[in-house]
Amino acid sequence: MLEWILLALIVLIIVILVAIFFGYYNRIISSSNRIDSAWSQIDVQLKKRADLVPNLVETVKGYAAHEKKAIEMVTNARERMVGAAGVKEKMDASGKLTAALKTIFAIAENYPNLKANENFKLLQEQLDGIESKIAYARQFYNDSVLSYNNAITTFPGRWFAERMGRTEQKPYFEVTEKERAVPKVAF
Amino acid sequence: MQRTSFYDQISKNKRNSVLLVLPIAALVVALLYVIGYIFAPGLLIFIVMFGIIWMTLQAIVSYKYGDRAVLSVMKAKPADPVKHVYLINTVEGLSLAAGIPAPKAYVIESEEINAFAVGNDPQHASIGVTTGALENLNRAELEGVVGHEISHVKNYDIRLMTMIAVFVGFAAILSYLLLRSFWFSRGSGERGGKGGGLIILAILIGLILAVFAPIATRLVQAMISRRREFLADASSAQLTRYPEGLASALEKIKKKNSGEMNVSESISHLFITDPKRSPLDELFATHPPIEKRIEVLRAM
Repeated sequence: MLEWILLALIVLIIVILVAIFFGYYNRIISSSNRIDSAWSQIDVQLKKRADLVPNLVETVKGYAAHEKKAIEMVTNARERMVGAAGVKEKMDASGKLTAALKTIFAIAENYPNLKANENFKLLQEQLDGIESKIAYARQFYNDSVLSYNNAITTFPGRWFAERMGRTEQKPYFEVTEKERAVPKVAF
Repeated sequence: MQRTSFYDQISKNKRNSVLLVLPIAALVVALLYVIGYIFAPGLLIFIVMFGIIWMTLQAIVSYKYGDRAVLSVMKAKPADPVKHVYLINTVEGLSLAAGIPAPKAYVIESEEINAFAVGNDPQHASIGVTTGALENLNRAELEGVVGHEISHVKNYDIRLMTMIAVFVGFAAILSYLLLRSFWFSRGSGERGGKGGGLIILAILIGLILAVFAPIATRLVQAMISRRREFLADASSAQLTRYPEGLASALEKIKKKNSGEMNVSESISHLFITDPKRSPLDELFATHPPIEKRIEVLRAM
């Protein structure tokens, strides 16, 4: 009788240990996967923006063709954005494109006809929307990185992470305040 | 601002909600049991089983078709991709921040500033905003309001509240039946003298349950809903990283809304603030007082 109870206890303990192991294993893997999906969300927005930019450039050319420098800046930044590979390079290029777009929207303030153009207004709203979506997606990325890093550095998750060979913390995206600020243009 | 993980919050919340739902379910089952005991002791087990199956069916139906019904009752129309591009962008942006698929955006024709969320899970959710909200709120305020609704979607609040609404409705129907039957049996005189003492005790318990079950379930509903509102406010602040946006939106709501939006009590918990105000709000309000919510947000 006693032996059976002892055996049952041992089995119970093993089951609990296995359950804990699976729990931590899944938590670490799924939070790592979440980071990947968070990045792909950012990537989707970056692509959408790159697709909208040529439209914008055409519209601006129609009203303010002699603003060559600003237009060129946007076109170049877009080229670099499309050609970029890897997370870091893409985010750098995206930052440049953001700055270039801000310049062109600031210049548009000087052209009432351009500003009143329905197409331009819709493009501006869409690009603004994408801009904030990128910011939000990046925020989610950072939240996901935080929860992954917490999972692999706090005890007892750390112990499992070491056995899974996942000791390296993932890097955060830095959001500079400058990127969020609206540029002021003096006339 | 404290940066606790959403995911821990959600699982903790799910656990707490189960703890709160259990007593409601127990009350309903107890009510069923007493009814069965008094009227058909031989069929007791069948009555209880039947009641539980009925409750489950009702839950499944409202789970599957609830959102469509609610949207049509509220006369919500899908947001226009050009006219409401701004709302759609806000909803999509905040759902990116929350890491859920973007819910469908709807607009309700109303002067009041309000917003709601419906759906079973983040994959099948809709968010609606009144035209009053679109006209009166600035970007940061609208983001705060939409963030609040997105949090309801993400935290599975809507599903839970639908479940609770089913229980509450069921308790109300049962106790109504029980009270009615007492009324009738008094009129028809003595019912068989066998096992008198036990029957009287059962009737007494039945009476007490019949009177208190609907009140108790309403109280629990209000309690859960109010906790959820605070949590959604906090999550909204975490999404937008700007609690002041929602705080000032709530302030505008406090000033502008008359509290007389034409919405049924049974769906009032879906909105960001109570669409209707009543004198019993102290006890049964599905939302905490606006002043309190603003205070909590400003303290973040």
